[in-house]
Amino acid sequence: MNCSARAKRKAYKYLMRGLKINPVVLIIINVLAPSMYILISGMYLEIFLLVFACIVILLMEEYKMLFGLLITFTVLIGTYYFTISHEKTASLAMFFLILSQSVPCLFLAASLISRYTSAQLLSALETLRIPRVMVVAATITLKYIPTFAREFKLLRDSMRLRGIDFTLRKPIKSFQYFVVPQLFRCAALADEVTAAGIVKGIDAPRRRTSYYEQKIRWFDYAILALFVAGLGGCYLCTKMR
Amino acid sequence: MYKDALSGKEIIKASKLSFNYSESKDGIADIDFVINEGDIVLLTGNSGCGKSTLLKCLNGLIPAITEGNLKGVLSIEGSDYSDIKIHELNKIVGSVFQNPRSQFFTENTTAELVFPMENYGYTKAEMDERLKELIEAFGIGELMDHDIYSLSSGERQLIALASSVTMHQKVLLFDEPSANLDYGNSMRLGSLISRLKKEGYTILVADHRFFYLNGRLDKVLFMEDGNLKAFDSEEAFKNSGYNVRSFDLFSIDIPFRPVPDSNECIAEMNNVSYKNILHDVSLKLYRNEVVGIVGNNGVGKTTLAKFLCKTFKPDKGSIRIKDLPFFIMQDPDYQLFGTSVKNELSLVKDDDKKIEECLKELGLLPYKNKHPFDLSGGQKQRLQIGMAMLCEKDLIIFDEPTSGLDISSMKTVAGEILKLKVKAGILVISHDYEFLRNVADRIVFVSGGTIEKDFYLNEKTVSDLNDIFTKMQEEKAYEE
Repeated sequence: MNCSARAKRKAYKYLMRGLKINPVVLIIINVLAPSMYILISGMYLEIFLLVFACIVILLMEEYKMLFGLLITFTVLIGTYYFTISHEKTASLAMFFLILSQSVPCLFLAASLISRYTSAQLLSALETLRIPRVMVVAATITLKYIPTFAREFKLLRDSMRLRGIDFTLRKPIKSFQYFVVPQLFRCAALADEVTAAGIVKGIDAPRRRTSYYEQKIRWFDYAILALFVAGLGGCYLCTKMR
Repeated sequence: MYKDALSGKEIIKASKLSFNYSESKDGIADIDFVINEGDIVLLTGNSGCGKSTLLKCLNGLIPAITEGNLKGVLSIEGSDYSDIKIHELNKIVGSVFQNPRSQFFTENTTAELVFPMENYGYTKAEMDERLKELIEAFGIGELMDHDIYSLSSGERQLIALASSVTMHQKVLLFDEPSANLDYGNSMRLGSLISRLKKEGYTILVADHRFFYLNGRLDKVLFMEDGNLKAFDSEEAFKNSGYNVRSFDLFSIDIPFRPVPDSNECIAEMNNVSYKNILHDVSLKLYRNEVVGIVGNNGVGKTTLAKFLCKTFKPDKGSIRIKDLPFFIMQDPDYQLFGTSVKNELSLVKDDDKKIEECLKELGLLPYKNKHPFDLSGGQKQRLQIGMAMLCEKDLIIFDEPTSGLDISSMKTVAGEILKLKVKAGILVISHDYEFLRNVADRIVFVSGGTIEKDFYLNEKTVSDLNDIFTKMQEEKAYEE
């Protein structure tokens, strides 16, 4: 028993597969990409971002995530074409299009959260010279996501046992049972996380160093170059049309 | 004179220390005490007595993030707290919190250990050197670079401890360390605390339970309603007339209950196996019976309960249960969905008269219109018990109902459970010896993936229960 439990624990060992892209690069891409829809025609940018996100995720060897991205995108874009071709549902089509456009960025952001610890993200944000207060706020938000994921399962099970399962028949009631406790948990968690940070000197008035500081390497530049070139290409295509 | 010569110099001193929260009437009043270097100090008292408030004063969270009115003098190493910035204070005082969520800022063990050093601007080389020292001092080499939430409770405690001394802190504050530890790990923590004392640390442990500190204490600070009484030795505390039975668990004297004569089987497991956790487990549960499941963390106690709730399906074997049981979780926050206390109960049974009676019995009537999340921890738990009282289920399961409860609250819960067994069968998962003695008719000991012992508790079998606890202390356990 002990051996198996130990083996299980070992399996959690933190290992990063594939290309170790500097988180700063991913953060920059995630900030820039959505705002480009202002300058560049939706379709070109959408195709480019999809291909780009697939390449990056492939380089990271996150095959499951790649699969998830493609499926989600296909389902959303499929729904878009379906809804737009029927008069009754055409008004909903735009909603699915916008959702599908956000898929590549969402998956890139998901890779940030799943592959890097909050310490690594914190140091990445520090290198961008963002004010400390914002860095701390961003890190606490990022930290909440895995905590929420852990707690979500427990909460669903607890609702099922109480006989107030999340049901589409009573969407508003279900949502209320689910969301209100979450808001309270959020508030409690914010206090706890703040305390954890403060007793560990998060507010020390010194330049923070990082154990995980990663140099920006050639492939980081290559990925950024590919990103910029792709955006440029999309821009030219939009202009030429 | 002699004692003074033996003990170290004064490290923390409080005089006329008072604090009142701006949001409530709670707080502490006129507190005086001295802690000497190298002391192991127990801070105890019932829930709501002001222990947490005092701890927050000591680690600076009061006044840094908690608002209220702080008066009096608190000093450390001769300097007044008000003259020290919190980031400087936290290089002297290390905090080990009770809840992993509030303890850890990151999810990775190595990241957690270097986190304070990064904040204080250490270079990579300095961090590597200190990391090496910490790994050696706490024997945590093989835990490095792991997901913190995949560790066992004991391992997590070691990481929490190591991370609280990264900045060479000399004073360590523990907040209810036994609440999330099983019996074996609590006892190991006791030895670890003694070792830290030998290495020169000053340690203050705030806890309701202190069996793991028996024979190790230099001083006891006992709090009651925000006031403090200091005892200069463990002996003085033991002779004080307060309820200190928790020092020696096995000596407590509680009358045994007759074996319940119920033969109505309400749930049954036959030759159940699950992953590598459980093998060929069979168990029958009867109405009007309280069954206590014991075993170290990670042996599959909760898994057994989750089979009955149909959360998990066994790989092999069968489960027979008529209806889903009512499951009372350790953390009530996961289980409260109502908009008010009364509404919460009406989700279970929409019967105003019965709800009113239930609220009255649990002393929750004055709070019936409050939001469940505005209740105190103990009140939330009573509300959970109220839900169990109203539900018409054959089986009610409690998961660690007494972790973090003081003795009198534990006894109240035990009393409520005994009332519940009149109508249902009860299963309690617990590592609280005293609680089990108060409540359990039957003990089921899970070890090595199977039910090693299953017996009714009486004068003859109590030694078996004691042996189980001794065995759990020796076993090295890993969590699910």
